[in-house]
Amino acid sequence: MGEYLSFVDINTWELIFTWVNLLILFLLMKKFLFKPVRAILDKREEEVRKMYDDAEAAKTDAAALEAQYSEKLAGAQQEAREIVEAARRRAAEQSGEIVSEARNKAADLLQKANVQIESERKDAVNEIKSELSSIAVDIAGKVIERDINEKDHEKLIQEFIDGIGEAS
Amino acid sequence: MNGPQIYFTIPVLGGIPITETIVNTWILIAFITTVCIFLTRGMKIIPTGRRQQIAEKLVTMLYNLVEEVMGKKYIKFAPYIGALFTISILGSLSSLTGMRPITADLSTTLGWALVTFVMVQVNNIRAHGVGGWLKSFTQPVVMTPLNIISEIANPISMSFRHFGNIAAGMVITSLIYTALASLSSFVLQIVPSVFIQSIPIFQAGLPAILSIYFDLFTSFLQAYIFCMLTMVFVQSAGE
Amino acid sequence: MEKAIILAASAIGAGLAMIAGVGPGIGQGFAAGKAAEAVGRQPEAKGDITSTMLFGCAVAESTGIYGLVVALILLFANPLIGML
Repeated sequence: MGEYLSFVDINTWELIFTWVNLLILFLLMKKFLFKPVRAILDKREEEVRKMYDDAEAAKTDAAALEAQYSEKLAGAQQEAREIVEAARRRAAEQSGEIVSEARNKAADLLQKANVQIESERKDAVNEIKSELSSIAVDIAGKVIERDINEKDHEKLIQEFIDGIGEAS
Repeated sequence: MNGPQIYFTIPVLGGIPITETIVNTWILIAFITTVCIFLTRGMKIIPTGRRQQIAEKLVTMLYNLVEEVMGKKYIKFAPYIGALFTISILGSLSSLTGMRPITADLSTTLGWALVTFVMVQVNNIRAHGVGGWLKSFTQPVVMTPLNIISEIANPISMSFRHFGNIAAGMVITSLIYTALASLSSFVLQIVPSVFIQSIPIFQAGLPAILSIYFDLFTSFLQAYIFCMLTMVFVQSAGE
Repeated sequence: MEKAIILAASAIGAGLAMIAGVGPGIGQGFAAGKAAEAVGRQPEAKGDITSTMLFGCAVAESTGIYGLVVALILLFANPLIGML
C-alpha cells in the first residue's frame, strides 16, 4: 500500500491535471462525437430541405403541366365540337340540298308526267272526237238517209261533239 | 477513510503525484473516447444502425437542453456541457465497478467549478466590458464585499456539493460494507470454520439497493445540477 | 493528552456539524409536500414538477452537505492535529 492523499484535500497538481483532463476530454468528445454527429444532422437537414424543395418544384411543374394539359384538352374538345358541328351543318346542308334536288326532280318528273298525260289525253280525246264524229257521221248517214246537206250535217255534228267536249 | 492513493510521484518540480483520481480519469477518458468512436463509426445520412440513433439522440438531447436553458446565443457551450456531464456522471458511476469515483476528490470538483467560475467572469466581461464587470459587484455599493464573497462562494458551493454527495455515498457504502462484514462474521460464529466465517454473506444483496440511491441517483442528479448551475450562471452573467 | 482532547472534541464537533442535516430535511420535506400538492392539482405536469423539485431539493441539500463535509474533515482529515 502506497501513500494516500488526505480525504478532503486540495492538491495543486491534481487541479492542474483535472483541467488538462477536462480539456482533453472536451476536445476528444468534440472531435469524435459532437462534430461528426452535428455534421450528419446538418447534412440530413440540408438533404431534407433539398428534397422538400425538389418536391415543391415537382409539384409546381405537375400543376403547370396539368393546367397545360387541361387547356389542351379543353381546346381539343372545343375543336372536336366544332368539327362535329361543322360536319353536322354540312351534312344538314347537303341533305337539304339532296332533298330539295330530289324534290325538284320529282316535281319535274311529275310535271312532265302531267304534261304527257295531258297531251296524251288530249290526243286521245281528239282521236275519240274524230272517231266519234266519223262514227256519228256514219251512224247519222245510215240512220238518217236524208238529204241533209253535208254542210248542215257537219255543223250539227260539230255542235254535238262540242257539246260532248264541254261535257267531258 | 483515506483520500486517493498516490500510485507514484514524478520527481520533477518538487514531485508530481500521480494519484488514483488522475489515473481513473484517464481510464474514463479512454473509455468515453472509445464509446464515442464506436457510436459514430460509419454514420450515414439515412440512419441504419442502432449506434447512430443513440449518438444522434444523445447529441440532440444535449443541444436541446442547452438551447432551452441558455438560449440560442450560447449553443456553442453545448460540447463543453456535454463533456462535463459525461465525465461527471461516469466519474461518479465508476464506483459501481469498484473504482474510486473521481468526483469523490475535492480537487476534481473544485477544478471543474473553477472552470465554471472563469467562464462566468469571462462571459460577464465580454458582455459588459471590464468597467461593467467591476461595476456589477458594486450594485448596491454597500453590498460590495458581500457581492464579492457570494461570487467566490459559487465555485466553492458547487464543488463541495458535488464532492460531498459522492464522498458521503462512498463513506456510507464503505461503512455499510464494514458493518455487514462484521455482522456476517458474528452470525457465522456458529459455524466452526475460519474459512466460512470469513465469507461476508450479508454483503451480497443489501448494498445493491443502497447503491441505487447513492451511486445511480446521486451521480445523475449531481452531474445534472453541476451542469445546470454552470449553464445558468454563465447565461445570467451574459445578461 | 492534547491529541486525545482534540480527537474527542473533533468527534463531538463532527456530530454537532451533522445537526445541519435538520434544515435540508425539513426544507426538502416541505418541497416534496408542495410538489405532491402540485401533482395533485395538475397531474399532467408531473414530469416538470418532479424534475424541478429534484433540482430544488439538490440545491437545498447544499447546506446539509456542507455540514457533512465539515464532519468528514473533522473525522478523516483533521487539520487540527497538525497544529499541535
